[in-house]
This record gives sequence, structure tokens and C-alpha cells, in this order.
Amino acid sequence: MITFEGVTKRYPGGTVALDDVSLDCPDGRITVFVGTSGGGKTTALRTINRMVEPTSGRVLIDGQDVREQRPAELRRGIGYVIQHAGLFPHRTIEDNIATVPYLLRWNKKKARERALELMERVGLERSMAKRYPFQMSGGQQQRVGVARALAADPPIMLMDEPFSAVDPVVRAELQDEFLRLQDELHKTIVFVTHDIDEAIKLGDKIAVFQTGGKLVQVDSPENLLAHPADDFVAGFIGQNRGIRTLSFAGTSDLRLSDDAVRPATADAADAAGLDWVLVVDEGRRPLGWTRPAQVAGALSTAPLAPVGATFRVGADSVRVALDAAVLSPAGLAVGVDEAGAVIGTAAGTDLLAVPTHGDGTHDTVAAEGDDARGDGGGAG
Amino acid sequence: MNDLWNQIDLFWTWLTASSQWHGADGIPHRLLQHLYYSGVSLLCAAVIGLALGLVVGHTGRGGFLAISIANIARAIPTFGLVLFVVVIEYSIIPVLVALVALAVPPILVNTFEGVRAVDPDAKDAARGMGMTGWGVLWRAELPIALPLILLGLRTSAIQVVATATIAAYPGFGGLGRYIIDGLARNDYQLVVGGTVLVVLLALIVQLIFAGLRRLIISPGLLGSARSS
Repeated sequence: MITFEGVTKRYPGGTVALDDVSLDCPDGRITVFVGTSGGGKTTALRTINRMVEPTSGRVLIDGQDVREQRPAELRRGIGYVIQHAGLFPHRTIEDNIATVPYLLRWNKKKARERALELMERVGLERSMAKRYPFQMSGGQQQRVGVARALAADPPIMLMDEPFSAVDPVVRAELQDEFLRLQDELHKTIVFVTHDIDEAIKLGDKIAVFQTGGKLVQVDSPENLLAHPADDFVAGFIGQNRGIRTLSFAGTSDLRLSDDAVRPATADAADAAGLDWVLVVDEGRRPLGWTRPAQVAGALSTAPLAPVGATFRVGADSVRVALDAAVLSPAGLAVGVDEAGAVIGTAAGTDLLAVPTHGDGTHDTVAAEGDDARGDGGGAG
Repeated sequence: MNDLWNQIDLFWTWLTASSQWHGADGIPHRLLQHLYYSGVSLLCAAVIGLALGLVVGHTGRGGFLAISIANIARAIPTFGLVLFVVVIEYSIIPVLVALVALAVPPILVNTFEGVRAVDPDAKDAARGMGMTGWGVLWRAELPIALPLILLGLRTSAIQVVATATIAAYPGFGGLGRYIIDGLARNDYQLVVGGTVLVVLLALIVQLIFAGLRRLIISPGLLGSARSS
């Protein structure tokens, strides 16, 4: 566990970068420092590996003051990832990744084997090992940066806006893989970002910093969205706060209806009275939407409107399901299982009747208003 | 065209005359003297220029001062320096001092600029992963700055090889001897012979540095826009 005890950083000019910050970053979890620029979040991160020395207060790792170790030695035991990766242009990818093992005087063969293993872990081809950074895209470089930080298997990782410099599509990809990796590795991670969405997506615990280095709120993502401590936090979280809380509501308890689901072999007359039906194949995979009133005979002959987005029951959140409902021509979200077979459909209003509670990777913190929303209505 | 051919012919008959290849006045002896003066000066200049450039570039302190001094040193006419110092003490040392003064600025400035231009993110990552100050300099800054450093060394080496001809003026031999003697005796063939030898030597230096560049600079640096 990383513990901040009244950490203050004041620069000679009088600028205060950190103002009496106290906080815990629990083991095996992702703690996100988020805030406006100049909020001191990066400074806070850098006090952990002594890249910045606090003016007063202490930073402890498992109860031991970081100042008891020499900076270079301390840092070799802590993974470090920065915004533009900061790869060494003169070293090959494998030698970049093996930087810390080399510093720790592993033999070259062992260090390179470790590098190759990590390349696979972070989703890079082993064949890229002999390339140089200038031959890699920004997203690939960032993966190398993560692999490099993991090389000596440090229990702690410090990540300073690691995904901020890549385009949104690659960023989402890197975030997903990062979460998958963390599921396997269970590192104690401190992650700095200015992007509140990234903080909510990745964080087990979020610390919000305000200009002047003040820590204004430390909370779970669910609580942060539900109960921002003050106007600053509320403003920082921004709009759509309500919709965002749906990201933490699971879809496993959702009641889905099979009424509107028909195999392609069925006759349109069977579905008379329904506005839209979802046509599925033998494996119950969705083929498309159609209006039975406009079809004579088998549904297989009907013109189909595209299914649009679907959601994975259990794995996806209510927010994803709601999105699918809005995008569907029928106004119904299509829930599928892992194989992509349709389980059932739900209308947008049914989705909102689901109490918002987490069921995924995050700590479950029930949001206020559960009871107010009452029981979910039947689907159909 | 005819003119150039005459020059080459003139040089060739001079070069192949058997008397050129023996004794204290022969080409081998003069060439060795020339290489010796150039080599010693370049070595001293490299030690001074690299050490100062690396320290100033790494710490980021004293950059303005170092560059200013280097530029002032560049403005001093080497020939004048040689005459001036020779008057004070008649030995080869003043000549070498003049050559070192000529060679230090390009090495110093390029080393400093090379180290300073190293991507701050790479430096931050190096430090953050647990490299000591020396480690950052040795494992990151120096190798990344190498293309520029080598360019500075090459510039200095060529200047020194060409300028070492002044050693002959106070009478210390070298390839400059032929040029000065030739001018004094109105022996055109001698002047051309000496000059062509110096030019050839400079070309060889150029080739050596091209080879070094391929040998010691990481392909990761040559492939990017920072190749010199």
C-alpha cells in the first residue's frame, strides 16, 4: 500500500503544487489521480518514486518511508510509464523493454527472453523485437512503454497519462487491454489522467485534485458520480453524470423478453400485432428487424433492417444496453450471450428501471436512489 | 579541362619522383609529422570539447557561457595565434595550442547541442526507471547525441588536417613544408604537390568518419529525422 501523509510540495517561487495531501493507494488496485492541469496530480505521482521530494509530509510504501532508499534503487523496483512513452531511440524494442533488467544486471539472454515474453503480454508481435522506436506507431510505442515498466515485475506501477497522446480508438483499445492485464497481474497502480472518463473507466479508487494541489475527493467511481463532494468536482465530472452512473449497473438481472424474437422460418402472421420482430437464424443469431404487418408468408422473405448494436448480457453495463436500444429501429435493445445468440430484448424504459449497482470489476457501492426507482417492470 | 590535366600531370611526376620517398624531406616523413601534429591536437580537443559539452549539456548549466567562449575562440585567426605564441616560446607547443583552439569549438558546440536535444521524455524515463546521473549520461544522452558529436569531430578533424600546414611556418615540418618551400622558391610543382596531398588527407579523414558513422551509430538514430 502507498500512503501519503500530509504531503506538501512548495516551490521556491512560492507556487504550491501539493497542499497537505493524505491518501491511501490500496494494494492490487488502480488508484487514479485526476484533475485540472496544475492540480498537482503528476507531482503527487512523482513523490512516490522520489522524482519530486516533498517539502513536508511523508510518502510510505508498505509502511516504509520512500526516503529510506536511494532514489535509483527505489525506482528500479517501481514501474514507470509516461505520456509519450519516452523510449530510447537508439535501442531496439527488446533492449528498451529490458532496460531495468539490464540495470539490475540480469544476464543478457534472460533479460531478452523476458522482453519477448512481455511483448506478447502487451499485444506486440515477437518479430518486432529488433525494430527501433521510430518504426512503431504511437500506440505500439505506448505498449512498449508499458512492457518496459513491467520488465522486472515490480509490485507498483506509476503511470503518468500513458494513453493521452494516442487517438481515441487506440486509446480505448489500450485501456481495455490494460484492464485485462491488470486482471492477471494485480499490480498496485497509480494512474494520472486529466480525462474523467478514463478515470471512471479504469479506477478502483479516484482522487480528484484541484488547482493549487488540493485533494478534494477520494472515492469509488460510482460514489464520485453519485455524490460529488462540491461544485468543483461536479463541474469536473461534467454533464451526463446520471447517464454515466448506468455504466456501473449490470445487465445480468435484467428481465429480457422473448416475445419479439422469431426464427426466419416462422410465418409473419404469427407475429401479427407486434410492431417489430427480430428475425434470428437457427443458432438464434440476430439477422435483422422487420415489421410483420408489411410481410406476407415466411419471415425469411421479409426485407430486414440492420440489427444495430447489441449488448452482452452480464458483461456489458446498462449504459451499453441503453445505447443499443436507442440505436435499434424498434427501440429495443438486443441482449446476446457469449456466442452471440439472442437471449431476449428490452425496451429503453425497462433498462432504466434496473437498480444501479455494480457487478463488475469495480467495488460495489450502491448508489442512492435505488429504492426510489422501485422494482423493474415486466419486459414486453 | 586541359589546365586540370596539367595540374594532375604535374602532381603525378612530382609524387612519383624517387627522391620524394626518402629522408627527412621525403613524403613519408612529412606525412607522419603532419599526422602526428593533427592527431595530438585532435585528441586534446576531443577530450576538452567532449568533457565540457557533456557536462554542460547534461546539467543544463553554463550553456550560454560555454557557447559564447567557443564562438569567440572561433573568431581568433589561427595563423595569428601561431605567430604570436611562437614569438614568446619557440617550440611546437604553440602550434599545437593553436590547432586545439581551432578544433575545440565544433566539438564542444555539437556535443552540447546534441545532449541538450535529447528528448526530455527519454531522459525522464531513464531517471524514473532508476538510472543514476552517470547512467543517464552514458546509456541515454551520449549514444543519442552521437550523430551530432561525430559531426563535430569530423568538422574539427578536417579543419585540423588542413590547418596543420602552418606547423611548417615556424619550421616544424609536416606537409605544409612543401607549400611554403614551393612558394618561397617559386616552385609551382612543389606547391601543387603539397596541396594535393593535404586535400587527399582531408578526403581520407572524411571517409574514415563516414565509416565510423555506420559502425558506431545506432540504426535507430539514422533512420529518424535526426540523422546529420
